[in-house]
Order: sequence, then C-alpha cells, then structure tokens
Amino acid sequence: MTPKDFLLHYGRQFGTLIGLLGLVIVLWILTPYFLTISNLLNVAQQTSINAIIAVGMTFVIITAGIDLSVGSIVAFSGVVLASALQAAIPLPIAILIGLVVGAFCGLVNGVLITYGRLPPFISTLGMMSVARGAALLYTGGRPISGFSSGFRYLATGEILYIPVPVIIMVLVYVVAHVVLTRTKLGRYAYAIGGNEEAAVLSGVSVKFYKAMVYGLSGMLSGLAAIILTARLNSAQPIAGMMYELDAIAATVIGGTSLMGGEGRIIGTLIGALIMGVLRNGLNLLGVSSFVQQTVIGSVIIIAVLMDMALKKQRK
Amino acid sequence: MKKCRYIIPFLVGALALTITTCGRGDKPEADGFTIALVMKTLNNPFFIDMQKGAEDAGSKLGINLIVQAAEREVDVEKQMQIVENLIQRKVDAICVTPSGSKEIVPAIVKANRAGIPILVVDTRVDAATLEEAGGRIATFIGSDNVEGGKIAAEYLVKRLDGEGKVAILEGIPGHETGDARLSGFHHVVDQLPGIDIVASQTANWERDQGFNVFQNILQSHPGVQALFTCSDLMALGAIEAIAAAGRTGDLIVVGFDALPEAREAILQGTMAGSVAQHPSEMGRIAVENAYRLLNGENVPEEVPVTIELITRQNAGSDSTPSVSR
Repeated sequence: MTPKDFLLHYGRQFGTLIGLLGLVIVLWILTPYFLTISNLLNVAQQTSINAIIAVGMTFVIITAGIDLSVGSIVAFSGVVLASALQAAIPLPIAILIGLVVGAFCGLVNGVLITYGRLPPFISTLGMMSVARGAALLYTGGRPISGFSSGFRYLATGEILYIPVPVIIMVLVYVVAHVVLTRTKLGRYAYAIGGNEEAAVLSGVSVKFYKAMVYGLSGMLSGLAAIILTARLNSAQPIAGMMYELDAIAATVIGGTSLMGGEGRIIGTLIGALIMGVLRNGLNLLGVSSFVQQTVIGSVIIIAVLMDMALKKQRK
Repeated sequence: MKKCRYIIPFLVGALALTITTCGRGDKPEADGFTIALVMKTLNNPFFIDMQKGAEDAGSKLGINLIVQAAEREVDVEKQMQIVENLIQRKVDAICVTPSGSKEIVPAIVKANRAGIPILVVDTRVDAATLEEAGGRIATFIGSDNVEGGKIAAEYLVKRLDGEGKVAILEGIPGHETGDARLSGFHHVVDQLPGIDIVASQTANWERDQGFNVFQNILQSHPGVQALFTCSDLMALGAIEAIAAAGRTGDLIVVGFDALPEAREAILQGTMAGSVAQHPSEMGRIAVENAYRLLNGENVPEEVPVTIELITRQNAGSDSTPSVSR
C-alpha cells in the first residue's frame, strides 16, 4: 500500500485520530488531572457503554439505516436481566437473557424493516417507544436494584488494573472489526448500504443480512445494559434515554457516512473516545453543563463538515 | 504493506503513553479548598437557586467552587460519571443531590475510597443500599419532604372544608423526594373520609407533561376540585391546562418548591399555595459544612432546612428563611 492508498483508505479515520490527539494535548495543557493513568482508565470505562452501542449503530448506518431504539432496548434488557438476577437465576443464564431480549427487539426491527418494508427511521422510532413502555410496564416504573458482587464484577472488576468494561469493549471492537472486514455479514453490509438494488441483483439475500444487522445492534444494546446495570447496581426503566443520539454521534464523528456504504469500526471507537474525553475534560475544567452541551454539539457538526471537505478533496 | 495501516495509531499510542508517564503531578491552586456541587440538572430553577446559595457561601469563604450537573434529571449514569471525574480532579469535598437514591451509592463508595467526603443535599440516599455497599456520607442537608407533604395536605383540606375530589400529579416513581412528599400527603388525606382521590398519575417532574396529564384528568374527571402536585413545575403545567379548559380559579392547586413563577401564580390566584423548601439555603449550608469538615470540625449527621407553606399572604414577601439546627 502506497502512502496515497493509505490516505485514501484510512484518511478519514486518520483525521479523527488527529482530532482526538489534539483534544488530548489541549486538555493536557489546560489541566494536570487529565493525562494520568487513572483518569485515562476512568475515561475508557465511561466511554465503554456508548462505544459498545455505537458498534451496532455503525453496522446499521453502513447499511444506510438508523437505529433509534437502542436506548430503550438498553432499559428493557436491563430490567428483564435485573428481574432474572433477583429471581436467583444463575448468572450466565441471566446474562444470556439480557442479550437475547436485546437481540429479539433488534430482530423485530429488522423484520419490520425488511419484510414489513417500513423505513428504518419509523420502525426503530416505534420500537423506541414500545421498548420504553415495556420496561415501564414490566417494573411499574420503579428501578430494580441490589445484585450479587459476582454480577457487579462486570462493571467494578479489574484485570491487571484494566476495568472489566474496558476489556469487554476492546473484545467487542476486535470481533466487530473482523466481522465487518472478513465475513459475509460485513461485506454485504457495505454492499447493501452502497447500492441495495445492486446487492439484490447480485444475489445477496439482503433481507436476511439486514435483519441480522438490526439484531446485532439490539444484542449489543443488551450487552451495554448488562454493564450499565452492574455499574449502577440498579436497573431503571428510564435508563438509556438519548443513548441513541450519543451512539449516532460517535459513529458519525468516526467517519461512517449516514448515506451508507462506508465506515470503519476503528473510527467509531475514536469517535466514542472523543465524546468521552470531551465530557471528562469539561468536567475536570469545571465548565458549566450548559456550555458542555453546546461544545459537544459543535464537535459533531465540525466533524461532519470536515468529513465532507475531505471527501471533496479526495475526489 | 498492509501492516502499515496499524503503525501510525501505534506510534501515536506510544507517544501518548510517554507523555502520560512523564505526566505532571503538581497541583495548580495551592491555597483555598476546591469543593464541588453536583446537582441533578440545571434545567430547574430549584437547582439554580441552590447553585446561587452555594456560590455566595463559596466566595465568602474563599472556596474554589465547581458546579456540575447532568443534562437530564433522570440521567443517573451521567451523574456518576461527573462524580468519577471530580474524584480524578482531586476535589477536597463533593456535595451531591442524588439523581437516584440507590444509584448514587457506587459513586459514593468510589469517593470514600479516594478519601473525599460526600455531603448529600436535598434528596436522601437509600440507607440500606449505602450500608450494604459499605459507603458513608458526612452529612445530609435537606428538608423533611414527608412533613412538607403533610403541610400541603392540611392546607388543601382546609381550603376544601374537609371534603372534595382531589387529583395528584406525582414525580418519577422511585424518586425519594417525590415518594416522601406523596406519602406525607397520603398520611393526612387517607384518614379523611370526605376526601376522594380520583386520580394519581406521574408527570415525571416535567412542566409539559403536567399540562398533558392534567388535561387528560380534567377530561376523565370533570368534577375534580383540587390538585396536589409533587413539584411546582408540574403545577405550572397543570394550571395552563386548567386555563385551556376555561376553569381558572375553579380548582385549588397546591404545589411544592415555591418557585418564583409559582409565587407569581399564587399572587394571581391561579395557584392556591406551595411548600417552600429554600434551595439556596441548602446550597449555602452544604458549602459551609464542607468547609467546616475540611477544617477538621465536626458537622451534625443531619442538618434540617425549614419548610414553610406559601399562600397569598406571604407569597410576595421575600422572607429570608430561618434555618433550624
């Protein structure tokens, strides 16, 4: 690969990485509390939930879709998981239940989009409301709290000083990278997002793979719910509100095009880290929360503007 | 050649690590304590008042005060992140109004481990959860919400002459503050056979939901004579629904928090009363107690902040509240 190929291939992600490093350097200059091992691990841990959801979102957006239901699926999987844990169901099975509930909600999205021919925006908007309502109904609006230390290890534990959620996040990204670049599911996701009709004509079973992608997004929301529940030692039916927007933001900052057909999993990780670092840094600097929202919004807009400018140049 | 693409991130990572290891450990502000106030949200005048009280006390005592809040009141995870970040920031003390009575506990335990004292303001921490987790707090500063609910109920009953149809707008279920106000209200009302509670629904602490939910209640129970809301924001939404139904002045609306806008409504007669909580006092006392604690003085386990009923008689007066110790 020549340097030109490299830039063509990874140019966008490279730009995002430069952005992240720039942010790190600025924060390092502004506050002595930022660039310490313990704070970086702290940021990684805080990023893990959004980063995991954003993996599913990246797959979905590569197919030119969108998933607005992830936050509600986090809440619903969380409360079902919590009730399973409280019913003294063995830990591995309870965790499996959490994942299956998430995957099921995602598959329903997928089936509605493919076989029901609903636009992804509408289908997942509906699911956003249905899953939220289901979580509230299931719990009567009250949080379910208090779990075993074995379960809480998933959020509070450390292996060689690395928090367990960070390890889970890294594993998810490694697997997702391989799936996206080396398997049929990944390659077809790009093909569907690039040109769905062409994919159909070349014999790709578009409906099946699309449904799988939404199922994957739901399952990863279930995984995020497991970490969130362990972290707070409580599952709330109102948890995960607006998580969809954080996940979309991480994906878009990471260079995945909302038009579909392009994007890289590593970019999404960098995007999620930019958001996590930004929130952490603004907290450390004691910036008012009003300003924080404005800054984060501006970063999303600037990232997409830069993306468009870069694309023009490459053409 | 393919491996090339991984080299640059690696180099950058190595660079970052180098920077980290030669990181700078010195503290910037040598004099004065740094105290953080972490609130549920800044989208509520109640917390703006609290911030004001804390800032006044902070500047008087020469404290570097950091005020942070989650974007949304229900976002317990964001609040936990803020506390974690403040621990990294090595603040000297953290005053917090928990977004979730149980959900705040892991964050408290983390602060305990870092040796940073936690002062809880306004909303209580669930005692059993805290004990189970082995966490501890330095003090609780807040009003007795059960008592406030009782005061609201007694006034409402008096205005109804002991009988009538009453509706309730609740806060988010599971929120200690709202639950306590509600239980105080029920404590009084449930013993009175003349009072008939026709509807009790949540409007999730929000003004627009207060409007919608109460509009629906007015549709299904046109005979309702009085309304108790667990917060003024919901009451302010509800009185708009009452106005839209052309029934302004017909209903006795009693809220909670005595927000400036609610006081205005009480003077205009669209609301009957509200229970005042003095959030700015809470902010002031929290910072003062944190300061005492950091100077090695003892602080009481609990500092009650007085509550009072605001009606047409005293809604206009900007009485400086007295604080009982």
